[in-house]
Amino acid sequence: MEPGRARRRATMTKLAQWLWALALLGSAWAALTLGALDLPSSCREVLWPLPAYLLVSAGCYALATVGYRVATFHDCEDAARELQSQIQEARADLSRRGMRF
Amino acid sequence: QATGTDQVVGLGLVAVSLIIFIYYTAWVILLPFIDSQHVIHKYFLPRAYAVAIPLAAGLLLLLFVGLFITYVMLKNQKVTKKAQ
Repeated sequence: MEPGRARRRATMTKLAQWLWALALLGSAWAALTLGALDLPSSCREVLWPLPAYLLVSAGCYALATVGYRVATFHDCEDAARELQSQIQEARADLSRRGMRF
Repeated sequence: QATGTDQVVGLGLVAVSLIIFIYYTAWVILLPFIDSQHVIHKYFLPRAYAVAIPLAAGLLLLLFVGLFITYVMLKNQKVTKKAQ
């Protein structure tokens, strides 16, 4: 008998893990929002917009990271100018040899 | 060192996202624990908007992304038809 048949798959794919975690947390949220436990009304009020809140904060974090990386990016102006002149040279050379842009 | 406009745009993005985050956190997490007669509630919309506005914004974003993709695809199709 092939040994491969006897061994069971030990690990889940990343997608399966994410879906599993999402299903777990989602069902916990749904159960609590629909009244599984008796929560004080202020806790209820915080709980039900939580998925929207997490999405908005994830978006804010992404935006802030992009903005920060843009602001602290190290430009190399000399290298940029050199590259542009090399591009012009190459275009002139190639169009002399007959290539159309 | 990053160039001038890059820094302004980048820091502007950081500031905008911080403002949104702080306002939204106050709205969703802090407000329910503040006495309903307090004056601060005047500065926040009814709670239902805390989910409705991000949802509408998300749908608008999807709409624009879809329109952009459609536009680019149609432009490509026209270019290949012209080249034939």
